Amino acid sequence: MTPVVQCMGLTKTYGRKIALNQVYLNLERGRIIGLLGPNGSGKTTLIKIMNGLLKPTSGDILINGQRPGVDTKLRVSYLPERTYLQPGMKVMELVQYFQDFYPDFRLDRAYDMLTRLQIPPQERLKNLSKGTKEKVQLIMVMSRDADLYILDEPIAGVDPAARDYILSTIVNNYNHSGSILLSTHLISDVESILDEVVFIKYGNIVLQAGAEQIRQNEHKSVDQFFREVFAC
Amino acid sequence: MLGKLMKYEWKATWKLLLSANLVIVVMTFAAWIMTNLVEYSATDFQMIDFVEIMVILTYVISMFAVYVGTSIFLIYRFYTSTYGDQGYLLHTLPVDTHHIILAKVSVSALWLLINSVMITGSVLFLFTAREDAFFTMMEGMADVIELMSGEEITLFTIIMTLVAYVFSLFAKVLKVGACISLGQLSSNHKLMLSFAWYVGIYLVECVCSGVYFAIRLAFQEYSNSYMSFASYYDTQWETTLLAGILSCVIYYILTWYVMGRKLNLD
Repeated sequence: MTPVVQCMGLTKTYGRKIALNQVYLNLERGRIIGLLGPNGSGKTTLIKIMNGLLKPTSGDILINGQRPGVDTKLRVSYLPERTYLQPGMKVMELVQYFQDFYPDFRLDRAYDMLTRLQIPPQERLKNLSKGTKEKVQLIMVMSRDADLYILDEPIAGVDPAARDYILSTIVNNYNHSGSILLSTHLISDVESILDEVVFIKYGNIVLQAGAEQIRQNEHKSVDQFFREVFAC
Repeated sequence: MLGKLMKYEWKATWKLLLSANLVIVVMTFAAWIMTNLVEYSATDFQMIDFVEIMVILTYVISMFAVYVGTSIFLIYRFYTSTYGDQGYLLHTLPVDTHHIILAKVSVSALWLLINSVMITGSVLFLFTAREDAFFTMMEGMADVIELMSGEEITLFTIIMTLVAYVFSLFAKVLKVGACISLGQLSSNHKLMLSFAWYVGIYLVECVCSGVYFAIRLAFQEYSNSYMSFASYYDTQWETTLLAGILSCVIYYILTWYVMGRKLNLD
């Protein structure tokens, strides 16, 4: 089966600064993959290229065997690290918006999650707190039956109490034949759900391995191993 | 998908811009009532003249403010929803870049058209308060046309002038879109670069139109032909239409090239 993501010599530069350097990476289906690296390591750049929001300087990237475009956007569900909501919209209007554009959007799943999080659908997004807005975005993204969920720092902006709920929301709602690529530097919080990890440093992939494999071979948690690899 | 994009673009703009157009309606009625009051006032009370001047002044300022405000809002909306944070959602929708551009440009151009119609209608309506002024203006215009040409401006010319105006509105919107898009090619100072592109393109347009009219005048002198007002007007709409279509094509391609091929949301 074709990997859900294939990067072949992917390079991105901003002037003289190299954000991604000759990245070769294959991500398989049906797995929860952690894209782990410190700030400025190239995680967000790689994710943006996958979503067609940035163009690579050289190299190629295929999602489901296709270059990023209309067809791949139909199958990729993306949560950026920032709030992309129109402040004047009501939550229910946002739900309708997603339903209008994404054929794989599940309305019942979205309303179920909103109810469980006690987010009123009639509320305007501008009246919600930053954390609640992030939860609304996550609900929209996880209400799709996508082949690939790309979540950029999904727990960075929320309090520790909400992190468990967010992670359980992710695990319980994704399309299990698809994959989740989860970017974060809060490894201890996500370690328990990861099948595989990709370590990225200065735009280079330094490790791609199973989470269990690391624990067995290194006799330490992924978080501890990460701290060792990225020690300053 | 184009229809859906247009629907949401309209939804995102209609409340504020409809309110702005309501200001035109309110100010027009205020100015009309004031002008009528002065017209039929039996007293020589000077205060009413002062109030009329203030109302008319407020009316003129509000017309200007609504037009400029609408333009600024549409530019801001284009920038934030396309290259700002909201662009992260827009550019991950499974829609073609052509549809994104067409939806944004057509809704913006429609609002500018509504604005123009409202302001023109408002001015004409205001003139009806002073019948003498209205008829004097119409007679004056007729005299000028008669004096300069002796020919009638046909209905076809009027329709084509309006069509050319609509194209020029689209060209205006696309020009702003192209400049904002070209500004995104830089890693830093994107807005400043967009402004620089606008100034640069404006200067190129000025040079092109200057050269065009110089050539046209030279040919006219060479052939020593007398150009009547009507025939001048006939060629004027053709020029405006041609320039509008050409500008639309160029600015559309530039916007599409950056948005589709060089997107750089950082």
